[in-house]
Amino acid sequence: MSEDINYYILFDNYTHGLALYKLLQLDSIPARISPTPHILQEKVSCGMSLLIMPEDIEAVRACIAEHGAAYHDIAALPCQIKTDRFRFC
Amino acid sequence: MIYLDNAATTLHKPSQTVRAIAEALNTFGNSSRGTHSVSLSAAFSVYEARVKIAEFFNCPKPEYAAFTLNATHALNIAINGLLKEGDHVISTDWEHNSVLRPLYRLEAERQVSLSFLKADSKGRTDFLSIPEYITPKTRAVICTHASNVTGNMADLEMIGEIARRHGLLFIVDASQSAGFADIDMQKMNIDVLCYTGHKGLMGPQGTGGICLREPLDIRPFYCGGTGVQSHNQRQPEQLPTLLEAGTLNSHGLAGLSASLDFIKEIGLENIRAKEKQLAELFLKQVKDCESVTIYGDFESAQRAPLISLNIGDLPSGTAADILALQYDIAVRPGIHCAPRIHEALGTAERGAVRFSFSYLNTEAEVMQAAQAVKEIAEA
Ligand SMILES: Cc1ncc(COP(=O)(O)O)c(C=O)c1O
Repeated sequence: MSEDINYYILFDNYTHGLALYKLLQLDSIPARISPTPHILQEKVSCGMSLLIMPEDIEAVRACIAEHGAAYHDIAALPCQIKTDRFRFC
Repeated sequence: MIYLDNAATTLHKPSQTVRAIAEALNTFGNSSRGTHSVSLSAAFSVYEARVKIAEFFNCPKPEYAAFTLNATHALNIAINGLLKEGDHVISTDWEHNSVLRPLYRLEAERQVSLSFLKADSKGRTDFLSIPEYITPKTRAVICTHASNVTGNMADLEMIGEIARRHGLLFIVDASQSAGFADIDMQKMNIDVLCYTGHKGLMGPQGTGGICLREPLDIRPFYCGGTGVQSHNQRQPEQLPTLLEAGTLNSHGLAGLSASLDFIKEIGLENIRAKEKQLAELFLKQVKDCESVTIYGDFESAQRAPLISLNIGDLPSGTAADILALQYDIAVRPGIHCAPRIHEALGTAERGAVRFSFSYLNTEAEVMQAAQAVKEIAEA
């Protein structure tokens, strides 16, 4: 079920992460700045990632392509937060 | 007080800089440490400062612009991080101890050999002679953009072209020129630009940075916490994290960011024009004074806005003391951490009295300082 998967955009640094966050805001694509999940941290040196909704993934990719935005990877992970108990997005 | 020691640090900062720092003090968490709202406030502010600095120096990417505490810190990262055992370096007599001492240390510890372009009695240096010093081991040319003693300036575009042609790294100390001269890392072929935030950029002390033209094989001078990859025994490799271990001075950087806005609003060319005008006004007033000796090359097209002089046979410290006590004018005597240029000028013993001007000085202040020099000279 798509609700159970989270998409994290990963970055090499905050500069790339915050730049893409601003671009997504301009395109009205919802994204939340979230800590990079520990299991994804091995390859990146940035503690922030962008958490995006599964239904927005194509729009995000289009936004990245349009602006030539830098990012490390997009990772899909099972949801880290119990959404029935805690606020998530 | 009339403050004319702006080459040491600018005393007067734009009011928006003061406000930005005050605002940051109670609203910033730790940048790049977590993602709660106040950590992000700091992270966004640092991000914006980085983007502005990259634009200001035409550094190819914001992430190639790492922040440091000052130019000395940046120069130590560059010099210690890039030079290897047995390398040869070409530098100049103009350099500040923030370049000289790291080089001398590597000469002793890593057998790095050094050549210095000589300065003459007006502090002039023949940069076109760089190729004569090149050996198969030459790795880098390191030079300051503007001498903090004579105000003489180097033609970075010309030196950058020589360095590029010979495959040498070009490392520039922009401490005295940032905020006054145009600096374009790409046009000038600068591989590493080191600057300080508290002088011409009119930011707070504790800010500065190192900008790279591309990710070089640079060994971080220090390592430590980065907020990520905490189990990794090595410093993360990506810029700017590689060069930014430890908590950033995000409060100070908020101030530097506001200062960069101020410079943009006024226009660097207008700042330069005013500072040049103040320096020229001062020079015009004191240059015909019989017992005043002025140092530097006043025929070259571009000079930094400072004038060093001596009055009669007064030791420079005594002259500065009289200016402070009698006239409430702050200037800088002595050797200015630049021993080689004082050797060249013949002032290694007595030093010189340096008057340095900022955009926030006034003509009236300059006239009063010139009058004071004349009075001391005639006394
Ligand atoms: C030419 C030059 N280089 C480097 C520095 C060092 O600057 P900071 O003390 O901010 O590291 C100075 C400052 O006096 C300088 O004039």
